[in-house]
Amino acid sequence: MSGKGAKGGAAAAGKAKKAGKAGAGEEKREDVLQAVIIADSFQDRFKPFTLEKPRCLLPLVNIPAIEYALEFLASNGVQEVFIYCGAHSETIEKYIQDSPRWTPGGIISPFSSLDFIRVSDANSVGDFLRDLDTRGLISSDFILVHGDLVANLQLDDALAKHRARREANRDACMTMVLRSVAEGHRALEARVVTPIFVVEPSTGRCLQYEEMHPLQSDHYTILDPALFKFPEFELRSDLIDCGIDICTPEVLALWSESFDYELPRKNFLHGVLKDWELNGKLIYTEIVEEGYAARASNLPMYDCISKDILERWTFPYVPDSNMLHDQSYKRAKEGSGIEDGVSIARDSKVTKSVIGRNTKVEAGSSISRSVIGRRCQIGKNVRIENSYIWDGAIIGDDSVITRSILADSVTVGKNCRIPDGSLLSFGVHIGDEQHLVSSPSPRISLLTQDRHPVETDISVVGQDGKGAPYQERVEDYDEDEEDAGDTDPAVLQNSLIYSLAHLNLSSESISTLASEEHYDDDDDLGSQAGSLSAESRTRARLSSFASDDSAAAASKSDVFHSDAVHGLLDALRAEDSEDFDSAKLEFMGLRLANNASDSAMRRAIAVAFVKRASELLTAENGGLEPTKAAEETFTSKRGAVKFIKEVGVGGEGVAQQTEFALATQKALLGVRQLETTRAGVLLAAMLQQLYSLDILEEEGILAWWGDKRASESDTMNKVKEKCRVLVEWLENADEEESDEEDEDSD
Amino acid sequence: MAPSQAGYAPNLDKFLKSLKGQTLEASTESLIYLLKRKQVTGDECANATARMLLQVVAKSKWHDVDQLLARVQSTGSRLARAAPHEPVIGNIVRRVLGLIRDEATEDRNADEMSESVEDIQALSVPASPPPPRPHPGLIRTQTAGGSVVVSKSMFNLLSVADTADLPTTTSTPMSQAQPASVSTLRSEVIDGIEEIMDEISQADDQIATFADIQISPGDYVLVYQPTRTVEKFLVKAASKRRFTVFIAGIEPPHNGAAEAPYSALRKKLNAAGVHTICLASNGLMAYIPRINKVVINAKAVYQNGGLLVDSGSSIAALAAHAFSKPVIVLGGVFKFCPEDPSDQVKSGEQGSASSSVTYAEGAGVDALEVENTVTDYVPPELVDIYVTNLGPQTRHHLASILADHYKPEEMVLTMQLGDA
Repeated sequence: MSGKGAKGGAAAAGKAKKAGKAGAGEEKREDVLQAVIIADSFQDRFKPFTLEKPRCLLPLVNIPAIEYALEFLASNGVQEVFIYCGAHSETIEKYIQDSPRWTPGGIISPFSSLDFIRVSDANSVGDFLRDLDTRGLISSDFILVHGDLVANLQLDDALAKHRARREANRDACMTMVLRSVAEGHRALEARVVTPIFVVEPSTGRCLQYEEMHPLQSDHYTILDPALFKFPEFELRSDLIDCGIDICTPEVLALWSESFDYELPRKNFLHGVLKDWELNGKLIYTEIVEEGYAARASNLPMYDCISKDILERWTFPYVPDSNMLHDQSYKRAKEGSGIEDGVSIARDSKVTKSVIGRNTKVEAGSSISRSVIGRRCQIGKNVRIENSYIWDGAIIGDDSVITRSILADSVTVGKNCRIPDGSLLSFGVHIGDEQHLVSSPSPRISLLTQDRHPVETDISVVGQDGKGAPYQERVEDYDEDEEDAGDTDPAVLQNSLIYSLAHLNLSSESISTLASEEHYDDDDDLGSQAGSLSAESRTRARLSSFASDDSAAAASKSDVFHSDAVHGLLDALRAEDSEDFDSAKLEFMGLRLANNASDSAMRRAIAVAFVKRASELLTAENGGLEPTKAAEETFTSKRGAVKFIKEVGVGGEGVAQQTEFALATQKALLGVRQLETTRAGVLLAAMLQQLYSLDILEEEGILAWWGDKRASESDTMNKVKEKCRVLVEWLENADEEESDEEDEDSD
Repeated sequence: MAPSQAGYAPNLDKFLKSLKGQTLEASTESLIYLLKRKQVTGDECANATARMLLQVVAKSKWHDVDQLLARVQSTGSRLARAAPHEPVIGNIVRRVLGLIRDEATEDRNADEMSESVEDIQALSVPASPPPPRPHPGLIRTQTAGGSVVVSKSMFNLLSVADTADLPTTTSTPMSQAQPASVSTLRSEVIDGIEEIMDEISQADDQIATFADIQISPGDYVLVYQPTRTVEKFLVKAASKRRFTVFIAGIEPPHNGAAEAPYSALRKKLNAAGVHTICLASNGLMAYIPRINKVVINAKAVYQNGGLLVDSGSSIAALAAHAFSKPVIVLGGVFKFCPEDPSDQVKSGEQGSASSSVTYAEGAGVDALEVENTVTDYVPPELVDIYVTNLGPQTRHHLASILADHYKPEEMVLTMQLGDA
């Protein structure tokens, strides 16, 4: 296959370059360990807090989360650090610059260099890593971590093993450090998606990666039949994936090759493993049984990690180690950590908690399993349990706070009830005697999603309160952070409490969603339903098959679909080549390899061309008119027309033409950026173009027009309506033609 | 290929190697974080502290003894604060401070001795135990940095006496005297610190030389999680005596550990014809009646004779005491602290929860509250003999050892040091 040849060539070139570099910088390679911190998550699981502060600066037991990541790197002897910031980049940079320990170039910094890299148009982790590849800063193996990592692992072993594998085989490009834990562990329960690693136990090689999550109705995943060639493999879902990857520079090259990968696991790992026969890259896992590693990737994990720190699982990163310069925690009785200058009334009780400097706890209060920041004032007879209260909060007398997070400078009046799962963002005031409603768990903020001040909702926060319930709009594409839509599995966890209650999990609704997913835009993973697509697509088809064999077939056709669409799209997008023949060859190869049905091919082709056409409509690709776009799509590449005619339609019959028109219509509905009306216009333009290119004949289009399946749903109908003009024109043309014929014959 | 020891994680060796190339502040900071991250622990702390203070003396800029004392003390207290459960750090700092004072006094005395006998007679007055408080104003004029620290330092007293009380004899003004004396003082203090370092490194061997006195043929000796000091002690005794060793406190082998615990020690002892028997820690009590003596290693010895030990050793000591078996404590003199144990020491240091319950334990992590005390305090009544590098001692003799090694100033000064 030509595609394989090209990739192999690129890899060889990469190796040659590497070898040259290695010769020059051999000494450096041995000594300097580099690390990259991804300090933006492109998720909004911590909203409303992340409206004002980036996730990696949110305090985790009174220390900003990024400190743990930096300390982890320092404890592993990392010398050069690159930090990628997305949202709030100024805040993070300022924090690091002002910190006595990490200031870049400061004499006491344990790192010889610490650089910030800003990428203005990054929308995903993938964009960061592709950017990193272009910069050429990475000279050898490096450690990739996230800004919200808390770990006390020692990586020396993993690094040595990684290096040995790499010496043995150049293609061993990445080692993932994973922590195994037993079933029922709170860290497993706190995660959103369940990662499933298929690992060859003798070598630790990762063979396949899948993700599952609770919104999925079938609780199983599909194995690649190729796995059975291996003498043994393990399927593991008991691993905490804390995002520590030891990578070679080739990993960055792989990211660059795949422009559409966004997430390091779901896209990159899954993709690279799936294509390993093409790219030949091997990815290994290093499963550690000792030490601690976790990512504060959502609120339940935040809760879990905070507890772990309090219970000293993260030793030596515990409060009384005083990792920050200005801290002075001491271990007090009842397992608490109390900083200097804290005043606790004699008859108040503090158990298993951490209290920051200059906080005052008045008589009769009880605080258990909580973290209280600095300068807080806690009144009389207050009860605080399992809560996280950041700096400068004021809690009035007789209030009760359970399992909640109160951000900086929150004020809670007297005799209030803050129920389980509450999130009170920066500066919120709750008036006296307010009992917050516990379901749904209250999220109160002073800002809306667009960072505008809210209008205070007196019914919630009381007469002298400030703040209003935080509403999340379902879709928001302008946001520079990730636009996690309403079906991001993280919705289950937008509070500290893991709850499925408010979600309607009826299987019908999901399967309809899934069947629309067939034509869904794969590129748009971050957005609505995106994270569902891969699994649900498979599942939808599974519902119609019974046996296991057909399940495997289903997964195959699924693979075929996404590969074929990407292949065709690449060919259509390619600016340097006019030729469509190689794409055709590849497509036919894929078809044979996967034994794809005619309808699957038709669908793939329709989706690919529709995507290309809709891309051309967008501003960055020239913002063409629908007719122009349709023309451009079909005619810009030589051989495309013939390809559609022979493969896409696949025959002269009216039935096939009808099917193709139908496929095109459905594909248009799958393109998300397109409003329905615009999709309709584009459909009309495309059908017209297909007609004028002699791909579809009047009969085909008219048969489609009459087909019941074309008007199954409202949206289908709406799109179809736009083609009425075309159809009428066709009908007329038909008549005219026959008239003409009549005349001629006369 | 890089050998296995070429890992990236920082440790004591790397720190010591990096000392030369780094600025003082950078090395101090990196040692502080090594201590905080527990990448340098136990007996390594003593060596690391001494090396660090050596750098302070050698590299930092100081013009008189007060400045030097202040430098050493500030660095020392930062190190001590970083690892509040390693009292050895404080001891080394005290020793170095005392050393500087001694050297300074000697210098001064030597200078003056050559000048006039009267000086010495005059000097002997302010050097007597309750030192008369000099006028603060005089000190202010004296200290070069202009700081108004009213120091109790002996040197200060002496120099004040020089200039104020005996103005006629100051034929060598400080400004001229300094360059020569600073460099000689520097080299003398450095020599002194190197001596301390030698003492630390040789302590184990010196303690081992007393092994055959303590262990008699046919003894049944119980050791609890033997450290390097105890191992050397036993091996040395094995070369002259036939006895049986019970090794208690053995933890189940860790995953991937190449050898059974203490296998190196057991091989050495068996080679010398000494039998070893391993006991799980809960089986210890049953064997106590059979045992003749218990040997434990001290992390620190307090002025009252109490010990800071690795957790578990105190059980062995308590059990032995209950059966009136002698408890022998091994510890170099540098581990003797001129202070009483704080409440924090008595309650023990909390270690990582994961060393007793693995984090992977699943539901256990939620259900359990793990308190893993890694150090214990052994009250003085339980200890019979202290074997130091200067020989075996009893509790009643500790005070004189402390008096030999620490100056009264440091005893006062460093009370704040461990506490701060």
